[in-house]
Amino acid sequence: MDRTVVQGNEGYAAMRVQHISKHIHHKPILVDIDFSVEPGSIIGIVGRNGSGKTTLLRSLAGILTPTRGSVYIDGLDIFKHPEIKKQIIFVPDSTEALKNYSTKELIYLYKNIYPEFDTSYLFSLMKRFKLSQISKIGNYSKGQKALFTLITAFATGASYILLDEPTDGLDVIVKKQVLQLLVEEVSDRRLAVLISSHRLDELEFMVNEVIFIKKGKVDSHYELDTMKNQYKKIQLAFAGKMPETLENELEVLDKTGKVYTVLIPRGSRPLEEKISDSRPLFYEELPMSLEDYFVAKLGGPDDV
Amino acid sequence: MMFNKALWFQNYKQSKFLIWILLALFVVQMPLQAILSVESWQERAERTTYSEEYVYEVQAWDVMQIFSQGMFTIFLAAAIVIFASLLIGLERNTRRSDFTFSLPYSRSSLFLAKWALGTAAISIFFIMNFLPAYLIIYQSEFREALSLVSSIEIFWAPLLGYIFFFSFSLLVGSITGEMVSQIVLTFIFGFLPIIIFTLIQEFMQVHDFFLFHIGSHPQWIEYATPFFYAAGSIGSLPGIISAVLFTAVCLWSGTVLYTKNNLEYNGEFLMFKKMNPVLVVILTVLISFFGGMIVSSLAPWGAAALRILSYWIGFTTFMLFALLIIRRLIKMNIIFSGRAV
Repeated sequence: MDRTVVQGNEGYAAMRVQHISKHIHHKPILVDIDFSVEPGSIIGIVGRNGSGKTTLLRSLAGILTPTRGSVYIDGLDIFKHPEIKKQIIFVPDSTEALKNYSTKELIYLYKNIYPEFDTSYLFSLMKRFKLSQISKIGNYSKGQKALFTLITAFATGASYILLDEPTDGLDVIVKKQVLQLLVEEVSDRRLAVLISSHRLDELEFMVNEVIFIKKGKVDSHYELDTMKNQYKKIQLAFAGKMPETLENELEVLDKTGKVYTVLIPRGSRPLEEKISDSRPLFYEELPMSLEDYFVAKLGGPDDV
Repeated sequence: MMFNKALWFQNYKQSKFLIWILLALFVVQMPLQAILSVESWQERAERTTYSEEYVYEVQAWDVMQIFSQGMFTIFLAAAIVIFASLLIGLERNTRRSDFTFSLPYSRSSLFLAKWALGTAAISIFFIMNFLPAYLIIYQSEFREALSLVSSIEIFWAPLLGYIFFFSFSLLVGSITGEMVSQIVLTFIFGFLPIIIFTLIQEFMQVHDFFLFHIGSHPQWIEYATPFFYAAGSIGSLPGIISAVLFTAVCLWSGTVLYTKNNLEYNGEFLMFKKMNPVLVVILTVLISFFGGMIVSSLAPWGAAALRILSYWIGFTTFMLFALLIIRRLIKMNIIFSGRAV
């Protein structure tokens, strides 16, 4: 057995994503992705369309075989020891695969796949979210399907939940329910959740860590608080245009008339002095959001 | 893992429609056909009692029509191909294969579970229909007819033939990227040896040179053609031995190839991109020769030069179309409700 990674904190299994690369049609889709996931954490996988987020999640679930590298759970390679995947469940952005099952059939299927599957827990959550048993899961509304798949994923007892765009297309109320359930589960049961989403505003309030993927590579990987402390978002207004020398050094998020919203590295005294020397009419620090960081790091016009 | 309950249930769920069609076909082929055949044999026998010149005797062929030959074996072969394509091909066209491959089972277990379900369904349905059909004839006045056929001809050869053809269809599924390509290639490769033989024969006839004697095809061509196993043409001991051997080869190679599948190519014509040029060449050559055969058949038999000319016109025209169509086929990607990558 190739146990290359030690257990995570407090004896829980740890997921180790080790130098994964994936080429599709000879094009690099993922390049040397390397990180670890500890139980009890929610990690947001953030990136623009086509950056490789779904490919990454599918590789972590053992669906796609990486061209190089591998994924380890508790030191075991999931591609060599597929039985360890009992600890992983992948929740795709579509319920296509399960739409013809009745709730009863799905429970039967999952009970036989995941020995830890907790039926009473599933029923209690179904009751809480007013989901009745149904003869065809495809007949649930879009929101109900999303809730049901999430609930069944939690009921499997898996330690790693991989969610691909879980709130995509859901109305505000269901979205809130989904996110609330997610946060509760992670704190109650020391699960680890990897969640890919475009909705940075949603991720912001639940993730501990964010992995930014750009062109298949990990552009940056931060704990949310650390990340927010790295930058400072400020609003500036000048009598005329912002001096060109200054504009080149700042990350301009927005420009409306003479008012600029910019991002600067926190604690960069020379830059702050330069701003002060350029005598802005107005200077105010604004609360920093994940979206600001996303736009600054990944949102260049040539990166579409 | 071949008998994992969850995988059996999952595979049953996605192919149950075809499983019940398979049962219905076996019921019609054997017990129902046995009842109707006995009735018609009786009718024919009664008619001949009024005629001094004729005595009606049931032939071995009549019995084999019920158990191993005839129209229903063709329907069953088609149903078996669709059954295999529901288990592998359709899974690739939809997002189901993501679900399947994310499960905590090895890929070989996934493949073997599909094979086990199909083989069990074919075997159980075959046996449960064979027995009443046999008893119906045995209890009728035509009991003697059963002595005209051997157990190899009416039991082992069709049963093992169906199992081999199913295993062969799954093997094709392990290299194809979706349902239609699985069905099309199963039929093409299922007939390939006899197709090649026929095309060569026709080529030789048109060009008036003969590398070998032209007549009916030799026995080994039948043994090498998977479709003949399902159509009940292999009713001999060497036939059932080769059915078992070929089943083992298909099962082994299917498992290995399925394990090596790169799922990012789901929805495309083939899973293994290195096979694309090989397939393009095989299909283009076959279609070109077929074109030559079709167009030359329109020319009068006496005009040898015209036949050769029309053969090559047909060959070239079909080759151009084949190249255009096959290149498009190779590049296609069919995923229903897919939002992958």
